Amino acid sequence: MLSAKGFEAAFSYIQLFGEGLITTVTLSALTVIFGFMLALVLALMRMSNFRPLHFLDKPGCGRVVKVLSKFNPISLVANIYVEVFRATPLLVQLFIVYYILLAGVSLPAFKLFGIIRFERMIPGVIALSLNSGAYLSEIIRSGIQSIDGGQTEAARSLGMTQWHTMQYIVLPQAIKNILPAIANEFVTIIKESSICWTIGVQEVMFAVNSIKSATYFIGEPLIIAACVYFCLTFPTSKIIAYFERRMSRGDKR
Amino acid sequence: MATSDKLIQVKNLKKYYNKGALHALDDVSVDINRGDVMVVIGPSGSGKSTLLRSLNLLEVPTDGEIIFHGIDITKKTFTNKEGKTEKVNINLHRQKMGMVFQHFNLFPHKTILDNMTLAPIKVLGMDQKEAEEKAMALLKRVGLEDRAGAYPIQLSGGQKQRIAIVRALMMEPEVMLFDEPTSALDPEMVGEVLEVMKELARDGMTMVVVTHEMGFAREVGNRVLFMADGQLLEQGTPEEIFSTPKHHRLQDFLAKVL
Repeated sequence: MLSAKGFEAAFSYIQLFGEGLITTVTLSALTVIFGFMLALVLALMRMSNFRPLHFLDKPGCGRVVKVLSKFNPISLVANIYVEVFRATPLLVQLFIVYYILLAGVSLPAFKLFGIIRFERMIPGVIALSLNSGAYLSEIIRSGIQSIDGGQTEAARSLGMTQWHTMQYIVLPQAIKNILPAIANEFVTIIKESSICWTIGVQEVMFAVNSIKSATYFIGEPLIIAACVYFCLTFPTSKIIAYFERRMSRGDKR
Repeated sequence: MATSDKLIQVKNLKKYYNKGALHALDDVSVDINRGDVMVVIGPSGSGKSTLLRSLNLLEVPTDGEIIFHGIDITKKTFTNKEGKTEKVNINLHRQKMGMVFQHFNLFPHKTILDNMTLAPIKVLGMDQKEAEEKAMALLKRVGLEDRAGAYPIQLSGGQKQRIAIVRALMMEPEVMLFDEPTSALDPEMVGEVLEVMKELARDGMTMVVVTHEMGFAREVGNRVLFMADGQLLEQGTPEEIFSTPKHHRLQDFLAKVL
């Protein structure tokens, strides 16, 4: 049951929420940056046409050789990565990163902005980035593939390199098309970052648990946490919607 | 004719699909001379677009040679004047070959002016002011200088194709390749695009044009190629092709389209 007394008690720890908010924002922002970079690399890897065995493909060759000639190790690695990370729970990934991957690594223990415990946040950022990178790469890939091949042909026929074509012609149009999906993913990252309290990152959910231990109230701090998350995610989707409108100038008559 | 007049030499070009089951190009050889307005005609699926798209390697041929500036651009490397092996840089060759597509392929997220100046700035390193002045001069030539700030979607099909032509001209190509430039246009807009192409031809631009516009082939072309089933079946002056066709496939084709 909620009570005014509970809210009063929870609000007396408002500083914890403030620190939690800063931690959540930092955690999400870093995840967005690293996740997006990873996603771009994964998307390009999946679309690579590197086929080291293509010379095997000769008229009249057998079916096995034909399949072998299409073997693309770069794309395969990215494929496996995406499938694995989409098919396992984020909590499991987080624990694997924290307890196994970084078990023997001693990260420098200091406080970022005087509040965020660096050595706890880094495993969180890594796990969240690895996870969201897999999801975002699928979004980016579908965006790139939605762009008409004629765009690439036109750019290449003007003498532009493959990379310039990607940078100036394909990616700007692709990102515009997938902006709603990216906004969704960013909002998801903010919400999923709450899972990091399990490894001791002092974000918003960590504040809730601290207050619970100190005051024995749980409902009230949870309501406050929900409001804090809403105040983060709602403006995020609105800001992206604004950019979406700005970028669609070329669509209007 | 002196060899120096040959701008592009196509030798025994072949393009196979499905492990050789489909011959899109079957041993096509042709020389394109400087100043030629070469019109390629033929039924659909005859390989004329494949031939055109092979010239700047948007389509990679299965076998054969395309010699441009003395270099076989279908190969990965060539031997330079000092006898050293150098990589073929296809981007360098594409700069010298302008291409106009059936579906215009303007960049929808950029204004007309940006569409035209992007490649000169990024590829040739032209400065922005110079590029914009050049673009405006070209826009004036095709009567669209007032649309410089517009986005492609705001233009009619005919206007888009005229922009596509001048966008290619920004790179000062030595040859212009036209892939059915009027096929996607409403009939009333075909004329304005053909007019720009005629003017280009009058200025002495080397052009290779894949088209169904027989009137244009007759009036503007100095050579006409007839293709069917991936083969080059007949070539000659427009007079020879249209008045005294020899191959029965060409006679059939002309009977249908004229």
